[in-house]
Amino acid sequence: MIYLDNAATTLIKPRSVYCAVNNAMMTMASPGRGAHRPAMRAADTVLRCRETASELFNVPEPERVVFTMNATHSLNIAIRSLCQQGTRVVISGYEHNSVLRPLVDIGADITVARSELFDMEGTLEAFSRAIPGSELVVCTHVSNVFGFILPIYEIARLCIENGVPLIVDASQSAGVLDVDYMRLGAAFIAMPGHKSLFGPQGTGVLICGQEGTPLLCGGSGSDSISRHMPDYLPDRLEAGTHNVCGIAGLMAGMEYVLRTGTGEIRRYEGRLRDRFLAGIWDIGEIESFSGRDQTGVVSLRSRKYDCEELAGLLGDRGVCVRSGLHCAPLAHESAGTVDTGTVRFSFSPFTKISDVDQTCRLLRELHS
Amino acid sequence: MNYLIMCRSLTNAQRGARILERKGINTRVVKSPRELTGGGCGYALSIYRSPIDAYSILRENNIRTGKLYEKTEDGSYREVIA
Repeated sequence: MIYLDNAATTLIKPRSVYCAVNNAMMTMASPGRGAHRPAMRAADTVLRCRETASELFNVPEPERVVFTMNATHSLNIAIRSLCQQGTRVVISGYEHNSVLRPLVDIGADITVARSELFDMEGTLEAFSRAIPGSELVVCTHVSNVFGFILPIYEIARLCIENGVPLIVDASQSAGVLDVDYMRLGAAFIAMPGHKSLFGPQGTGVLICGQEGTPLLCGGSGSDSISRHMPDYLPDRLEAGTHNVCGIAGLMAGMEYVLRTGTGEIRRYEGRLRDRFLAGIWDIGEIESFSGRDQTGVVSLRSRKYDCEELAGLLGDRGVCVRSGLHCAPLAHESAGTVDTGTVRFSFSPFTKISDVDQTCRLLRELHS
Repeated sequence: MNYLIMCRSLTNAQRGARILERKGINTRVVKSPRELTGGGCGYALSIYRSPIDAYSILRENNIRTGKLYEKTEDGSYREVIA
């Protein structure tokens, strides 16, 4: 099997992740629910994971690292903390439904800062025009469909200059690019644990520049006599028993990223992307989407096959990819692919060069 | 003598314990006695020496602490003004 759906979930993890999850399952109880050894072992793991995330994302206090179920959960907390009906919100033309749908559900007044695919300058200009007079900006760092890297630090600077809070969706950049909380000065940074941080499914992180509004209320193991959630982080946003096994695995995954370095990970995935693009460039019936500022994510479409059909044919031959709109219709509208969808190939540090070559061969055979 | 430094959260207590250990002050994270937690469940740092120093170190490191207590011979707790 060749797994190239890493932008959805990394399937192959560092071996330490599997060991950490297994160890947590067998030895750890619930943090904040007791002071016995299994509870404190769990509490120690959860704190160490917060500290590891703080190191990776340059967060001064580990309390600002909140654990969630996934990036969607993180984004919902962040958005519902800063947005009400009628709030004037600016978003990019590359947002995932995990941003768009909560904003629509709340009844926000949404402005899409539209720009051409892989046009950094145009994207920045669109935000420059849209931010003044707005009350909130929500922006992805990287398009999940096309791997387009948006100029998030420049957008963050515009937000600071205009006094507008920023929520960053780092779903596709955490673990691949430099995501620096202090440099961004964002109100919130949301990310999943199960993609390029190599945690298990069911893990997510929300880095909080402010306290936030709880999405869930319940037991926190603190201030129990109060009818309300605590007013301090992380307890305020972490109701209920933690996903300790997931968090243990996430910690091991982030340690791998720290050891390897995001620079090296990005370089390797970039090499795979370039090899893939070079391997298919002369297949006339394939239109691929690439640009200067791109991660290891490539979308393409075929003139011979519908995207679902092509993904199915590749799947039958052992190549796992994702097709359709990738829960990001805005991104497809921006790229002009909303009517057809695309087939997405996404690489990881565990993708082999031979995987890329074999996939190129199959695409060539299917289009011969 | 046993002293308790009340902490605002488990995370605070854990971070405080690490800082004190690095300063050579042995400490343990414990559940706060009910009589000291007006707000219900909570955690504290249990230490056996240098309570004022420990309290100051925690404050200097931005660990949000509550009150400092000394356990008396009859088992009750008496607040120590740090």
